[in-house]
Amino acid sequence: MTTIHDEIDNWLAADLHGELSENERSVLHTHLVDCATCRKTHQETKTMNKILEETLAQEKPDLRFEHRMLSRFRSRIPQRSGLVKSLVDLMRLRPVQITAVAAILLALIQVGRMITGERATMLRGREGYANEEVFRQQRSQVASGVGRAGGLDKSDELAAGRSQDLALKATPSSLPASRPDFHEDAKTLSTTVAPAKMAQPEATEVLRRSASPENFARAEVAEQKPAEAPAPASANRKLIRNATVQLEIVSFDDAVQKITAFANEEHGYVATTNSEKQANGKLRGEVVVKVLPENLDRLLQKLRGLGELKNQTLGTEDVTKAYFDTDARLKNAHVMEQRLIDMLNVKTGKVADLLQVEKELGRVREEIEKMQGDLKYWDSQVQFATVTIALAEKDMEEPAAFLLKERAQLSLYAPDVEKIYNDIKALASPKVRITNAQLNRDYSGRVSATISMLIAPEESDAVIGRVKGFGRVENFQMQTQRIAQGGSGISENAKTKRDKVELNITISRDEQEQALQQTSLRIRTSSVDEKAKELRTLAEKQGGRVRSSTFNRDPDGRELAKVWLRVPMKNYFSLIQSLNSLGKVENVSVQRQNRTDAQIDEANAPADVSIQVYSQGNIISYKTGLFPTLRRTLTQSAGAIMWSLRMIGVAIAFLAPWVIAIIVIVWIAKRVIRARR
Amino acid sequence: MDASEREQYRAAIHGDREAFEMIIRTHSRTLFAIAYGILQNREEAEDVVQDSLVKAWKTRWRVRDPEKFPAWLCTIARHRAHDMARKRRPVPFPHETLETSETKTAHTTAIDQQLHSALAALPELHRAALTLRYFEEQDYRSIENALGLTNGALRGILGRALASLRKQLRPALASLD
Repeated sequence: MTTIHDEIDNWLAADLHGELSENERSVLHTHLVDCATCRKTHQETKTMNKILEETLAQEKPDLRFEHRMLSRFRSRIPQRSGLVKSLVDLMRLRPVQITAVAAILLALIQVGRMITGERATMLRGREGYANEEVFRQQRSQVASGVGRAGGLDKSDELAAGRSQDLALKATPSSLPASRPDFHEDAKTLSTTVAPAKMAQPEATEVLRRSASPENFARAEVAEQKPAEAPAPASANRKLIRNATVQLEIVSFDDAVQKITAFANEEHGYVATTNSEKQANGKLRGEVVVKVLPENLDRLLQKLRGLGELKNQTLGTEDVTKAYFDTDARLKNAHVMEQRLIDMLNVKTGKVADLLQVEKELGRVREEIEKMQGDLKYWDSQVQFATVTIALAEKDMEEPAAFLLKERAQLSLYAPDVEKIYNDIKALASPKVRITNAQLNRDYSGRVSATISMLIAPEESDAVIGRVKGFGRVENFQMQTQRIAQGGSGISENAKTKRDKVELNITISRDEQEQALQQTSLRIRTSSVDEKAKELRTLAEKQGGRVRSSTFNRDPDGRELAKVWLRVPMKNYFSLIQSLNSLGKVENVSVQRQNRTDAQIDEANAPADVSIQVYSQGNIISYKTGLFPTLRRTLTQSAGAIMWSLRMIGVAIAFLAPWVIAIIVIVWIAKRVIRARR
Repeated sequence: MDASEREQYRAAIHGDREAFEMIIRTHSRTLFAIAYGILQNREEAEDVVQDSLVKAWKTRWRVRDPEKFPAWLCTIARHRAHDMARKRRPVPFPHETLETSETKTAHTTAIDQQLHSALAALPELHRAALTLRYFEEQDYRSIENALGLTNGALRGILGRALASLRKQLRPALASLD
């Protein structure tokens, strides 16, 4: 607990500054009465306070201080001009900020809606306008219509009364001005709606309802009456009628005769006939009959009796409008022509002008001719209806003949491809035609040949037999196709003809032939090189051929010889038997492909044997042992270190630009901050 | 703080220039007292007040609560004054200029000199509290607000400041008596 004595400085200061409460002051004074030291301090502090008051009063800012501050502030921060200031001030207000954000969000939503193609609310507003627009038009029509209608029949004034009132207000061709007073009318008409904007669509409805049923309809009739001066009679319509009929008949000629008779009966004529004979002797054709339009239906009825009706269409084209348009244009053109002729007759003006007139005249006449042609064409079309009858005799699809096409595919394997290629080419004769012969030799020296030939049917078997003798036949395929000619389907009396036989031959070297059986085995022995040589001689004895062989010796003294042999199947087993003399036979694996399709000469089919002759070698590699292992370990760890160094380099290359950029930015920011101070 | 004052601060924060100028009129002496307390140099103190006002205008939107506006102003002034004090290299002796400019009795000048050096030896906060008290005769409440102190702390500061001045000036005071 601190006493007044301990904190006498604070108490005295507060007392001098008049900041002690009544209670505190009495406590202090009691203490001062008691304590001499504090009394002394009290005295000194009083003096100190006085000195401070006197001294610091001199340092007080002068009277003009505030004014100076203000003017300097004004010069340093100039007043902003009105609009910018008010805008900036406005943006500081929280409600304005919220409104702005809301507006931006709304705008974004609207944009999004427009982009996604939803109906925006804006459009709805515009629709309202459109409605009003339509309504205004209607109103003006009503107004004018009523004006006229009122003149036409006055007996029905009661019905027209309301709209006539409207018309009276807006009639004197003051359409733009009519809108505001229309609003008033709308209001008077619809008693339920108060706010004008909301009222618009409803008011439209109300007015339309009141205007449309009788008045508006009548107004339209009234308007149309003067417009339709030459009311066209329906008899005067220009209609082009045409029909197509598809029939299947027994005899084409009979049908054509009957059609001609029908046409004559119906006061028509046969316009065109054409027919076409198919390969199987059947006829197909088309008859075009022209007949008076009113007789068309009867004619069609009769045509049905001719045969089986496959298809019938009946069409009518109304060319009335085009016809009368052209007619009117023709009349105008005639007038134009006459005026141009008059112009030429007067013969005043420059030559160039006259030429121009001449040119124009030419153009107009051309037009006239074209229009006259059109009219004539239409006249002819309208005068007669066109019936197109497509006729086809029964069993149209029956084939005329069959063709037997044979195609053979032959693959040959032979030691000398080129010789056989030439031999086969030598077979060429008038009855054996070589269509394609090709000898391919690729960069590795492999040779293959393809030959295609067409052989007369009677020679085919002999030639194919001879070709088969040239080499080992790997594959032979024969394909026969029966092709119907002049139709499809089956015909009892169609002839069958044998076509040339197409033969495609592929010749490859027998090396490339896939072995029937593949065997791989290992032989362990001590002297690899020697045994490998022995193996070769053994293979040759059995009629085999060494296709390739390798020999290698590794640093540990292990030797390995690989030999690939090919022997005919018949010698295969004796070869395998004889291998046992070379050493210990291990890991024998046999793979055989049984080809079901081919007629294969199994005894001569090739069998591949791959033999590995190997020796065990030294047990311990000179590379094992303490020092080599140590050396390898060191090398590997050095490699690992180098690799990690490289990775660090890569990482630095990735990071360095960013680090530099960040440092530069921080540096600039610091500079800017310092400059501000 | 009454409603009209509050309204004035609010308007100033929202960019009302007239309100802000009104605040300059009413508060610049307080700011000066603070700056002078720290710097003990009138020219520098004036500059600090000026800078603080400009800065306050520019960054007025940072103040959320209008009630804290005056305190915030004082804080700016204090910081500016501190910056200024840190920047100037050797502390100039203000009393030397006073000595030459003003003609006074040798005795008063001696006491003045001693007082000034004693003031310079005080902590900055103590000086600021003293100047606020003796320049503007502000009550403790206003000083507390301006310097962000509690009543107890302010009492302690003023008491200690007066005591230390008293002790340093005791010989001079004795002669004065």
